[in-house]
Formats: sequence, structure tokens, C-alpha cells
Amino acid sequence: MARMKFLCDDERCIECNACVTACKNEHEVPWGINRRRVVTLDDGVPGEKSISVACMHCTDAPCQAVCPVDCFYTTDDGVVLHDKDICIGCGYCFYACPFGAPQYPQEGAFGARGKMDKCTFCAGGPEEDHSHEELDKYGRNRLAEGKLPLCAEMCSTKSLLAGDGDVVADLFRNRVVRREGRGEAWGWNTAYQDK
Amino acid sequence: MSSFGNWIGVCKTRFLRVLLVQANRREGQFFAVCVEQHRVSGAKEADVLKAAQMMAEHRPGTFIWCMGGTQHTIGNNNTRAYCIFQLALGNMGVSGGGTNIFRGHDNVQGATDLGVLSHTLPGYYGLSEGAWKHWSKVWDLDYDWIKNRFDQNSYEKVGDKNVGPMHTKGIPVSRWIDGVLEDKDDIDQNDTIKAMVLWGHAPNSQTRGPEMKAAMEKLELMVVVDPYPSVSAVMNDRQDGLYLLPASTQFETYGSLSSSNRSMQWRHKIIDPLFESKPDHVIMHKFATKLGFADQLFKHIKVDGEEPLIEDITREFNSGMWTIGYTGQTPERMKLQSENLHTFNKTTLKAEGGPCDGEFYGLPWPCWGTPEMKHPGTPLLYDTSKSVAEGGLTFRARFGVEHDGENLLAEGSFSADSDIEDGYPEFTGEMLKKLGWWNELTAAEKTAAEGKNWKTDLSGGIQRVAIKHGCAPFGNAKARAVVWQFPDPVPIHREALYTNRRDLVEKYPTYEDRKSFYRLPTRYGSIQKQDFSQEFPLIMTSGRLVEYEGGGEETRSNPWLAELQQDMFIEINPGDANDAGVKHEEQVWVDGPEGGSIKVMAFVTPRVERGVVFMPFHFGGHYQGKDLLENYPEGTAPYVRGESCNTVFTYGYDSVTAMQETKVSLCRIRAV
Repeated sequence: MARMKFLCDDERCIECNACVTACKNEHEVPWGINRRRVVTLDDGVPGEKSISVACMHCTDAPCQAVCPVDCFYTTDDGVVLHDKDICIGCGYCFYACPFGAPQYPQEGAFGARGKMDKCTFCAGGPEEDHSHEELDKYGRNRLAEGKLPLCAEMCSTKSLLAGDGDVVADLFRNRVVRREGRGEAWGWNTAYQDK
Repeated sequence: MSSFGNWIGVCKTRFLRVLLVQANRREGQFFAVCVEQHRVSGAKEADVLKAAQMMAEHRPGTFIWCMGGTQHTIGNNNTRAYCIFQLALGNMGVSGGGTNIFRGHDNVQGATDLGVLSHTLPGYYGLSEGAWKHWSKVWDLDYDWIKNRFDQNSYEKVGDKNVGPMHTKGIPVSRWIDGVLEDKDDIDQNDTIKAMVLWGHAPNSQTRGPEMKAAMEKLELMVVVDPYPSVSAVMNDRQDGLYLLPASTQFETYGSLSSSNRSMQWRHKIIDPLFESKPDHVIMHKFATKLGFADQLFKHIKVDGEEPLIEDITREFNSGMWTIGYTGQTPERMKLQSENLHTFNKTTLKAEGGPCDGEFYGLPWPCWGTPEMKHPGTPLLYDTSKSVAEGGLTFRARFGVEHDGENLLAEGSFSADSDIEDGYPEFTGEMLKKLGWWNELTAAEKTAAEGKNWKTDLSGGIQRVAIKHGCAPFGNAKARAVVWQFPDPVPIHREALYTNRRDLVEKYPTYEDRKSFYRLPTRYGSIQKQDFSQEFPLIMTSGRLVEYEGGGEETRSNPWLAELQQDMFIEINPGDANDAGVKHEEQVWVDGPEGGSIKVMAFVTPRVERGVVFMPFHFGGHYQGKDLLENYPEGTAPYVRGESCNTVFTYGYDSVTAMQETKVSLCRIRAV
């Protein structure tokens, strides 16, 4: 069985935020909630790097380990999802997550934490596939349609890869071998006849 | 150093024999140039050398620029320098080479080609009598009827000859405010501008905001045609005579577009126009009907109710734009390509088999001759390794055959399979006769080609026969590095009008003021001689953000994009910020030397050098510290509003194109 993984190739990310925009539009994610974001390190100085980050769908997920109401579950594809009907919005998973993935929409008059929201690997939630409830609570279920996450599909430089971890790893390994240690410019081999 | 000598040697091998008319006179100055370049631009000498060396040693290489290169008083010098650089490297006419100018919108190339400009008819035909007669014939209209629609007086002279407004360059979009505000006696037309139709235009992308506001308020009539009210609708305090006409977006209509690689593509309608908006061509038809010339404008264009058929509009420009080979891309050919996208090789862009076999995707212009000729398009300009019939090309014989005793035609260079193995001028009917090729024209082509040339023969016969013999219809010449008609024949540096480098002004002075340039008095030296640098010490530049487009009205109205850039900001180096007592993410006043002031967020970052500040130009909806929210019609304000950087950007126009200077000015910053 495949285990779904994201990988962001920092040699290629150009901080265009297309992944963020694609995610927001696909799932109608409200203003202020970021299932995915692009983080830039050493901004404005030589060596600047950007990387697109969301829930990494960990194999041994810390969010799952600390959740007091046990609302998380891992799908057969290795996608870490949660049940918003069980979630109490306590924020433990936010403390546990090394990537800052869990998000909390404001709900109610006192700004109390709403149900946690995070990247679903475009795999919806526990509701019936393609149901109105699923769309409303978790966004679109592309995986059930045989499609991969839209952020990676829309990535203009194919920096962000998503899919079966073994395939993603192969793609990345091939890239690294071809780069021969230098930063990869797309089209290099075409321009210089594979030299 | 020695590798530099080699580099110049290598460039000579392939290209010098056909190209650079005067380059060899200048190579000795090269090293001095690198040192001086450091003094003028601040870029380190070693970095300049490294970049040049990298380009020389890794060929082919492309030279990419965007609007910024052009938006200087010497913009035309910059862009010509880039082209000469590529010519010198032998990077022209080869795959992976060339000069690539990226635009902010997918159809800017198309707009330029169709002549949405003040100085030319479609297809770069210019404004001469011959050009008007050519288009009158294409439109099937009486030349005199068209002529009589113009003011018959003249305000300008070419040589000793009086020339009327029909044949003189109009006022460009960068200068319309001067057309309103200047004294009528100083403008080369009968009066000042009284009405403006701003069609798909972002005023906040244009400089001199406070003067633009004054101009908008002085107009008698102002019409905005746009999907959004745009900053035009809110930045002025007009109480009347301002009309907003809602236009549809590209998704709500269809037709062709031309991208910056000269490729054309048929675009299909995705949704019907939303709300009460109408597509541009419908609005244009309504205007023409109201103004009484719809019969002429749509003479050979089918109109379904109020909607002109875009296929017919396409066929009309196909039948007239011989200059750049916009003649072969019929709606049918474009549609067939988009239906057979999968048959095109993704690297060569050439169809392999299928109904478009041998064609290049998008039929990139020049796509010569009549559509029946089935020219495949020209994927690379000036590629002599292919025959013209297969998309090869020579350099155009655009500037005559001789200048100052030097032969301008190519020598010993020609495109593959050319029957003329040397340079040759532009093709004319007469030339076909001299070559003995005249009888290869059909009887009908002969009638049409008599007394005509490759760009005015509406039968396409001259182009067909030239290409049959492997020749480029526009001739075969050398590229030109010296433009003797321009203010600076060889590109040189001239200091910006607003500069804090007073030491450079003496060596690189700007131009003299001009009495008439695109009908308007234009200032250069009179501004530069004033020293603003004491009061306004920082160099100010502007540019784009990835999230927004142009004036930003559409993109700032998109919640997903607006969320990513919520504040208009100014990038300031930490040193300058600390000197001014300004903190990161706090509000700051930016004052320009012409009186404008804007309040924006400070973004303190080493992205900019000390002494330089940068601002994006996509914001609008605030004016000199005030949010103009109440000026928007209800429910139409974009999510994100902010100051337009062009409220503080200043005077200055390119010496040839009149493109506005948005890339260099001066300012000062003050903590709020």
C-alpha cells in the first residue's frame, strides 16, 4: 500500500505562493487559516531559500499521540486526518506538531478556538466521500477522484511533489543525481544537449 | 583578462560578418567600460566581469527583461544595448538564445501588434499616407472619408512640409495628463484633451499621481471601461461626468491572443458575462453605433445582434498585417491547433504528424503569406539554419541598402535553401521582374502586385514567390547596432532626471528640453540641473509582486491573493531605517520631490542596498494618507487597498518612446 508524502525541493521553490492559492481556492479555506504556507529563510541575503510547508502526514504523528479525545486517524494511504465532530479545539496538537500545521478558525464571541483545521492531502474527512458534509467540513476529496493534491499539481516549478512516497523519493533521487551538485536550472539539459 | 580577448574573438567568428556595423570600432574600450560601469551603477567590477564571462562561456544564452528596462529616460538605449549584447555573443537566431521581453499580461504582445498605440496603425505600418491607404483598402473604405474625419489643419512640420494630425504621433498614454493640463498654445494639436476613455487601464501604474488627479478633475468627460471600477473611479473628486462601464473579463469572451513569443492561441469562452458586464467588442459596437460609424467599422464583419463576430475581426487583420506575418493565423488554423495540442512536440513546439504536421504551435509570427500557403510560423527570429518556408529567417532590410557608404545588406550570409546567396533588399513587384520571377505570379496576383511591395500586396503573391525561392520577403540585411535617427545612435548612459549622483551629471547629462515630442513640450535638462538630493537623499525604484498584476484592482479583489499581501509597503535598508527612526512594519511617510506624499508600511530588509528604497506599484485606493473606500460604488472595493507608489513618482520620459520613468526617482522617508 502506498504511503502518501509531500516533498518540497528547496532548489526549485521560487516563493510564488501558487500552492497556497491553489489550496485556498480548492477548499475555500477562510482568510487567516493556512493549511499550507511558504516559509522563506534568510530573506534578502545570498543563500535565501524558500520551502512550502503543510501537514507532513507523519507516520508516527505527534498530533495523534497527544490528542486527548483521539480524533485523529491514518487512512490506508497513510494520510493523517481528523474528525471535526470529535475535536474539541484544545490546541494540544498545535504544541506537538513540529511544522505548525494545525490551524484554529476563530469561532464565537470571545475568539475561542474553533475546531482544528489542517491539510487533508486533498483527501476529505471521515464523512462519506464527495458528500456535502465532507466538502463543508474538510474541503474537496481529490484522492477519492484519483487525483493528487492540487498544491503540488499547480506548482509552477514542480518543486512541491505529492504522492506515493516511493515514487516521490525516486523522482527526487533522480533529480539530485542529474544536478551533479549544482543548483538545477530547468531546461539545462535541453539547452545544452544533455551535456 | 585573456579570456575576455578570446570572448571577443569568438563572437566575431559567426556573427560579425553579417551584423555589427560599427562594433569593431569599439571593442578596445571594453575594459574601461567595466570599471566605469562600477562607478555609475554601483555593481562591483568583478561581478560585472563574472556575469559577462558567464554569458560568453555558456552559449546559447537568453537575455530576459521586463518593463523595467524600458521605464527610464534612456529606456530605448537600455533595450538596444541588450540586443547588441546578444548580437555580439552570437545568441541571436539560435535555439535557447534571443532577447525575451516578458509582459504582465498574456495579450500585451497582441495589443502592441494591433497598434493600441499613438504612433502607428496595426502591424507597425506607421501613420504615413501610404499606411492609411493600405489600411483603407483592407477595410474597404474610401481613403478620403477616413481623411476627412481628421482635423485638416497642421501643427507640426516634417522638414519644410506641414503635416496634419492624421500623420503625426498622437499623445501617448504616459502623457495624457499633460494633454489636459498644458497650455493649449504649447500643444501640437487644435486644443487640449477634453474627454478620456480609460479602457482596461490602471492609472495607479502611471507616474505623477497628484497631477493626474488634477487632470481627471479638469476633464469634461471621463469614461472607465473595466471589470472593476479601478483607481480611475476613486482617485478624483469629480461630482459629475464620470461613467463606469462594466466590461467582461477574458473568461467571459473568446478570440485569439498573442503572447510574447509571438505565438497566437484561440481562447474559448468559459462562462457567460457576469452581471450586466459586456465584452469589449460589444461595447465597441455600441459606441460605434451611437457615434454613427458602425457601418464602416463593421463593413465586412458579421454582427449578431450587438455582438461582432470575432472570427471576422481576426480575418480582417489577417488580410492586412503583411509586415509581421499576421496573415496566416486564421481562426480555423488556430482552432485546429488547440484541438490537436497533443500532436506538438513539447520541446520543439513542432507538430509531428496529425492535421497540423510541420506547423509550430501558435503559428508564431511571421506566419507568412496567405493562410492557403500554410506557412508553419517562425519559432525563432533570424534563424538562418532553416529555410524561410520552414520557419527560418534573415535580418530584415529595414533601413535601406546603404548608409554613409557602408553596405547595409548581408554579405555572404543567407537562410538555408535561399536562391539568392547574398544580401538582398525588401521584395517589390519591380524586384520580381528584375529577378525574372514575375511570371511565377498568377494573373490575379500580377494585377494585385503591380506597383506594390511585400507589405502592401494584398494577394500575398510577392511573399509567396519570394519564399518559394527561399528568400525572406522583407529582405536580407545586417542587424543594426547604430540607429542614426535616434537621439543616441549608439546606446549610452545618461543620468536620470532626479539623481543624487551629482558627480555623474556632468559626464552623463540628460537631453535638452524639447518643444514638441508626441505633440507635447517635454522637459529633461531643466529638471536635471536642479539638485534635489539634499532634501530627497534616497534613490526610489518600483516593481512587481508575484501576487498582484498591473494596477492590482482585479487581484486585490481576489481574497486568496489579497490575503498574501495585505499592506502597501516600502523596502528600506536597515541602515536607512535606523537613520530615519523607522521601525519594521510601522507606518512611514514617503515624500517625493514633486510634492506627493504617501503613508505606507516600512519593510526593513537587506533586500535593498543602503540608499535605495523599493515599492510595489500594484496598490491603490489610498491617496496621501486617506482611504478612499467611500468613493467606491457599494460592494466594489477591493479587499486590499493602499497607497499608489506613483503618487510620489516623478516626471521623466524615454527619449524615443515617451515611456514613463518609473524606475528612478528620489524620495525621503519620515517616521509617522
